[in-house]
Amino acid sequence: MRNYSVTEFVGFLNAALNEAVFPDGVAIEGEVAEYRVSQGKWIWFLLKDNSSVLPCFGTVWKLRQPLEDGLQVRIYGQPKVHERSGKFSVVVDRVEPVGEGALKRAYELLRKTLEREGLFDPVRKRLLPKFPRRIGLVASRESAAYSDFLRILGNRWSDTEVNSVHVQVQGKDAVDDIVSALSFFSAHPELADVLVLTRGGGSLEDLQAFNSEEVARAVFSSKVPVVVGVGHERDETLVDFVADVRASTPSNAAEIVVPDRIEVGAAVESLRHRLVGRMEQTVGDRLTDMDRSVRVMERGIMSAVSSFRHRQRDLADAFVLFADRVASSSRDLSRLEAGLLTAPDALISRLTERLSSGSRLLESLNPKSVLRRGYAIVRHQGRPLRDATSVAVGGRVDIELHRGQVGARVEDISK
Amino acid sequence: MPQKKSASEGKVDFGRCYAELEQIIDWFDAGEVDLDEGLKKFERGLDLAQKCRQRLSEVEVRVNELKLKFGETV
Repeated sequence: MRNYSVTEFVGFLNAALNEAVFPDGVAIEGEVAEYRVSQGKWIWFLLKDNSSVLPCFGTVWKLRQPLEDGLQVRIYGQPKVHERSGKFSVVVDRVEPVGEGALKRAYELLRKTLEREGLFDPVRKRLLPKFPRRIGLVASRESAAYSDFLRILGNRWSDTEVNSVHVQVQGKDAVDDIVSALSFFSAHPELADVLVLTRGGGSLEDLQAFNSEEVARAVFSSKVPVVVGVGHERDETLVDFVADVRASTPSNAAEIVVPDRIEVGAAVESLRHRLVGRMEQTVGDRLTDMDRSVRVMERGIMSAVSSFRHRQRDLADAFVLFADRVASSSRDLSRLEAGLLTAPDALISRLTERLSSGSRLLESLNPKSVLRRGYAIVRHQGRPLRDATSVAVGGRVDIELHRGQVGARVEDISK
Repeated sequence: MPQKKSASEGKVDFGRCYAELEQIIDWFDAGEVDLDEGLKKFERGLDLAQKCRQRLSEVEVRVNELKLKFGETV
């Protein structure tokens, strides 16, 4: 019998298990129990069936599939005796849910996780290009989805190029194929303005790749917007939720990524129509502007001409007035001249005559000359007497005659 | 006039033509239009509409099958 040290024995046991007994690892089916995560890194659970339990160990970064107690799974991994604790467990590399119920449950768990992380957030969904020049197609070349997509695409639109990458859409290679196709297009954005990931409908098991976390994350991190069209409308996969746009079927994906040529043709026609209309309107507006300008100019010229005519008339009138004035002035002048020649004699004789008539008038007004004709002036107390009552009988009056004065007394008075 | 050699160089990009046509209409709609410039844009617009229509009636979708190996095309 051979003697071992503890380390040697544990090492031998592990080597025997992994290299001799299970060189390809093991796949074991059972129900998850006592599931726990320690320090956010290490996963522990028991895998059990009706009569046995098996401790399992894994790491959070390897086992992406969320687990919970009671879930039916198939684990892939290596059995191992741990050196430090001496405990036996299966080191798990991969976990797959088993059976429809477990798949549904696993789907729900993963959906909740991804939703919490924001992979389905509508805010991050990108707009698709209106007229994609290049479409990246990720599909199985043998599938009806592939030919349906291309057929509808060609019916609707021609001005695009399809860069197609053939992938398995179910089975063990599906996830890796799809993930590398998506990351290929992310690395070569010049090959696609939009990506279409499509396959026909199927059972939950068939659609597993489209419910896998890896594909969901690859769609999420794609640099090119992704349209996902899986199966028929009732099929709903996790990748649908992550996609920028979800198509219900492969044909619907084609309808989403390209417009319909007939509709676009009509749109082009209507744009052309509008263009012609705008141009006609522009020319029309300009003609109206010109008409208006011409009218304004015409009015300007007319008013200039008429004001010129007015001025002309004013000038003529002014000239006539001036000529009149000149004529009348010359008439006045000659009259003045003639006057000047005859003036001195006439003036003297006129003045002489006016002088003698004036002195005659003065002479006639002199009271003395009246006295000469026999009239007398009677004064009482120095004032001329005009009224008989102004003097009493016996009062003295003075009478001035043409020559000399007489003093007298009043004898009687009659009124 | 220099001749265009490659076919792709002369190839009409539908999306770009359509967008430019829309821009021209927007330009007309934007207001005061200069007649000379308007005429130029009008001609350009008609040309674009023609190209778009031609493009719509042309060719089939071209499908390139890419083969991936280690994440690259072969």
